[in-house]
Amino acid sequence: MKKVVVAATLAAALAVLATAAWGSTKGSSRVAAPANAGNALVKCGKTRSIGLLAPFTGPAASIGINQVHWANFYRNAYNRSHKTKIKFVNEDTQLGSANGTAEAVKGAQALGSNSSVLGVVGPAGSNEVKATTGALKGAGLGWVSGSATNTQITLDGTRTGFFFRTVPPDSSQSKSVSAYIVNNLKVKRVYIIDDQEAYSTGLADEVQAQLKAKGVSVGRDGVSQQQSDFSSLINKIPRNNQLVYLPWQLPPKGQAFGQQMKSLGRAGTKLMGSDGLFDPLFAGLGSNVYDSFFPVNPSDARVAAFKKLHKGTELFGAPSYVAAQVVTGAIDRACKNGTASRAEVRAQIKKTKIAASVSLLGLQVAFDKHGDMVKKPFGIYHSVKGVFVRVA
Amino acid sequence: MNWSLFFGELVSGLTLGSIYALIALGYTMVYGILKLLNFAHGDVYMVGAFIGFFVLQWLGGALSPAVNGWVAIAIMFAVAMVGCGALGVGIERFAYRPLRNAPRIAPLISALGVSIFLQNSALLLWGPQFRSYDTFDLIGVKSYSIGNNFFISNIQILTISVSIGLTIVLALVVSRTRTGKAMRATSFDRDAAEMMGISIDRVISFTFFLGSALAAAGGVMFGLVFGQIFSLMGFTAGLKGFTAAVVGGIGSIPGAVLGGFLIGLTESFATGYLPGGSVYANLYVFALLIVMFLIRPTGLLGSPVIQKV
Amino acid sequence: MSSLGGGPPLDEGDLPAAIPEPVDGVDRSRVGTDEWVAQSEERRIAQTGLTGVVARTWERLPAPARLAILIGPFAIFPFITNEGNLYRYGLITIIYALLALGLNVVVGFAGLLDLGYVAFFGFGAYLYGIMASGHSGHHLQAEIAIPIVVVATALLGLLLGLTSWRLLGDYLAIVTLFFLQAFVIFVNNANGGLNDFSYPFVGKVDLTGGANGLDQIDPFNLFGYHITTTKGYYFFTLISLTLLMIMLYFVNASRTGRAWRALREDPLAAEVMSVPVNRLKLLAFMFGAATAGFTGAIFGAVQSGAFPGDYDVGLLITIYAIVILGGLGSIGGVVIGALVVNGAPELLRSSANARFLFYGVLLVALFVAMRPWYKPVIVFLGTIAFGFAVHGIASAVWSRGTEGHIQGGGRLGRALEQWVLLPSNPGSIAGWAYFALIVAALVLTLVTGWWRVIVLIPTLYLASFVWENKLVEQVSGATRLILLGVLLVVIMNVRPSGIFGTSRVEIA
Repeated sequence: MKKVVVAATLAAALAVLATAAWGSTKGSSRVAAPANAGNALVKCGKTRSIGLLAPFTGPAASIGINQVHWANFYRNAYNRSHKTKIKFVNEDTQLGSANGTAEAVKGAQALGSNSSVLGVVGPAGSNEVKATTGALKGAGLGWVSGSATNTQITLDGTRTGFFFRTVPPDSSQSKSVSAYIVNNLKVKRVYIIDDQEAYSTGLADEVQAQLKAKGVSVGRDGVSQQQSDFSSLINKIPRNNQLVYLPWQLPPKGQAFGQQMKSLGRAGTKLMGSDGLFDPLFAGLGSNVYDSFFPVNPSDARVAAFKKLHKGTELFGAPSYVAAQVVTGAIDRACKNGTASRAEVRAQIKKTKIAASVSLLGLQVAFDKHGDMVKKPFGIYHSVKGVFVRVA
Repeated sequence: MNWSLFFGELVSGLTLGSIYALIALGYTMVYGILKLLNFAHGDVYMVGAFIGFFVLQWLGGALSPAVNGWVAIAIMFAVAMVGCGALGVGIERFAYRPLRNAPRIAPLISALGVSIFLQNSALLLWGPQFRSYDTFDLIGVKSYSIGNNFFISNIQILTISVSIGLTIVLALVVSRTRTGKAMRATSFDRDAAEMMGISIDRVISFTFFLGSALAAAGGVMFGLVFGQIFSLMGFTAGLKGFTAAVVGGIGSIPGAVLGGFLIGLTESFATGYLPGGSVYANLYVFALLIVMFLIRPTGLLGSPVIQKV
Repeated sequence: MSSLGGGPPLDEGDLPAAIPEPVDGVDRSRVGTDEWVAQSEERRIAQTGLTGVVARTWERLPAPARLAILIGPFAIFPFITNEGNLYRYGLITIIYALLALGLNVVVGFAGLLDLGYVAFFGFGAYLYGIMASGHSGHHLQAEIAIPIVVVATALLGLLLGLTSWRLLGDYLAIVTLFFLQAFVIFVNNANGGLNDFSYPFVGKVDLTGGANGLDQIDPFNLFGYHITTTKGYYFFTLISLTLLMIMLYFVNASRTGRAWRALREDPLAAEVMSVPVNRLKLLAFMFGAATAGFTGAIFGAVQSGAFPGDYDVGLLITIYAIVILGGLGSIGGVVIGALVVNGAPELLRSSANARFLFYGVLLVALFVAMRPWYKPVIVFLGTIAFGFAVHGIASAVWSRGTEGHIQGGGRLGRALEQWVLLPSNPGSIAGWAYFALIVAALVLTLVTGWWRVIVLIPTLYLASFVWENKLVEQVSGATRLILLGVLLVVIMNVRPSGIFGTSRVEIA
């Protein structure tokens, strides 16, 4: 028996090596869309249906509900001012829950089979976008996400013409962040801590590479989203470190980290967060805190109305408002002749042009050939008296 | 030699370790008597943390407590410990007692069911958001230092001393009182103990009460030191607590404490010194468990078990 | 056998009515137990009532007929429903059933508590992705890739199974759980990035895409035929399920199956009887792992991607629930378990459906558990009357108590609005009501006879209150899991080997 065991272990080790050696090449995609997906013509009635994929429940429900509120905010405003009405078909993706991306795929399949759905807003996570590509593309639906920021999902060519996003990708955020760190804050020693989720590691990798290229010395580590005890990690950060970059998703974690830094005598180190940490909890840590966020025009009347309605200052879901706006506009244009097909709606989404003056984001909304917005800046904010103020 | 890193990780490790020790004590006592792996123990720890949080809110919150900060903390401890003790007794009475003679797998699955139930009830009632103890505002966090390299905060001192204190109290209860003697007898041989007139049900309930109270203390301490509690925090903590109990020798009280500190130190030193640091820290802890299984299956202070056929 | 606070007496002729009254209230020394144990088989055969008839008919059917009854509805399903429902209710159910069958071999046949099972599932998906995806650049055909995946996962199962040689029950559970954690962390970091290992000869390699997952996995390419539609995958998976069930049926009846059962019942006795215990444990692990790996390849192709979060403890709990509910060791039971565990949450997605299900289950449980017939009727009418009374008093005394609205509407919902207390701002009242409901339910298990009827009435009303005000908010999330947790505890207490498992009688 022992010989079997030894042989098995050796075989396993060889297999691992072989797989490693072999698994290292990169190639092109081979997922083809069916030729005439989504060409079926649907009669445009008075009420048009849009699919809404978001995490209504589950660990990411707090951001999901925010997105849903913003989307509904747009829908209600539209329905009040137009003869035709918009209806959302809700599908819960339960982002971050036990079933992982399976729930998102189930929802996408359901939307695909629902013949009255002409376009989709969502899903929230970049991994969910990847997983639902088969279902949504196969059904011919175009989909617009307000929060899937992974840089590659528009660049790898698998979803061109189908997937669009109304939020700048990670590459924009990382460029803005590293530029600010090097040029404005002028620090030389940075420590980056990711939270092991796809969004976080993507941003962390990009910022690390960019900082290194500019001659900044960078240390790197990670925590899990479930973790609250950062003391061991904080001790590891060299004392001469000047800035810690935290591309995290959950503001309370950012707050806990900042507080533990203070209690371990590191109150002087600067902290830079990402758009997930754009929250008073993080800002309240003190004036050594910076953050990056997409530029929502804070003085826009709609922002004020939303804040009054939902008694919160959550702006995370604002791009979902814009996404709903994009899909609705596309459906309206496609339905001008009374009927529309999903393929027509997709083509209209591509041609979206929302002027800067009307756009919630304060800049023009139009898509480039990959599906990203043409203009995609990210702003840098500084915490002044517990509130984030834009500085770059 | 980077002394400040060394001392920093040492203090972190001892703080973490004291919390794990409290959880491990509950595991080890229950396992010693019932041979049951109480999956729900980690969630009792979580409930304790939440009870402490709500007591704090009831007293006015961290910013304006109705009583002095330290008194508030004492009240939080007391209420959480009693509340979770009752919870533990309830769990035992309804989920484990009917299964005392069932096949081994049944109480394990039942424990899993209780764990899922507690986690999701907490999620339902209190939401998925993190709750903050806000220790800064409550009592202020002061950092003491010896020389240039050794730092320790008042909260960390509190944690370590409370943990050691509670362990001493537990050891006294087990060794000096009659109920403690009954507990030891029951874990040695249940049937014989019963024939000597010991009420097994009462002894087991008492064991669960003690174990759960200690876990609750651990939960409150975690909230104070690290500031954040949430409904899923019991899972990993429970795993590590169990690892600590096994490493120290399951069924042995000093073993659980030793195991807890060992696990805490492993975690913090692994984070500080080993490659992959914080990401793989949990794996290093579990690797320690594997190594322990291979070289000394009964743990550091456990006694070898002879199985009678 | 144990039960919560005394069950219904079994009146079957001259067989002993029930386990003779225990001496000190809960368990302990039993007089005449041996005879009761020895006659358990006869008691089972003599079961009266609907369940007895169904059980006997089921056993008399030849095996192929049983298989046809189980698989038949699945085969017809694609032709009567649309693609969305086919995916949700059909394909995912079969995938879970496959996984559960594999786990059933490890836990149900051989009695080994393996908590790292879904790591094999993920391993299968990732390995298939490495061999056939746009991400890795290789595009092996499925007929080559799938066997490689199955063999490789079986080898991995062999390695993990080696730990079961020295570890018993709980310790094995913890070690396998650690293996799962290790797998998740590894897969999350093996992207050639900074936290990855550097392999000898090849350096850092992007194996799994890290947290971003391994995407662009090819659809199955079987001998040139591409499976791209949901229907295609559905039939492929259904055929695999049928073949696996047939294989397991034969294994169960074979020497290996008997040896596994011996191992499960008492490892020490089995070893003494010269059953090759260690080899059997390895075999069980390998079989389970191979099944999981195969299913993983299917899942990876269906989702055209493998993402780290998909193969974690949550899925493990779901699969365990299926195996436990369906019955440890029962092949058909597992399939039904998968249907229930996957189908129920889908049905629960809309609050109206969930409401029907909730009240329906309560009513059915009430009428099944309480005999004679007039007791549940009394409880039912009494609860309705009680509810109206409380509602009436509340609307007179505390106006805000009845201003809220039923979520989800529907006829039943509107009818209930007149009956249930719906505060306009439930807030913490619902929380305290939840706590009170738990206490009431526990008290119910302690009382018997007419006291039970009396306590049951306000308890049911309270349950309705808690449901409408709290549980219905999170139907597809926390509520489903709460019910699952309760179900696990209750099933373990009432039928420790699952609904369709063979009930075992143990002597204390």
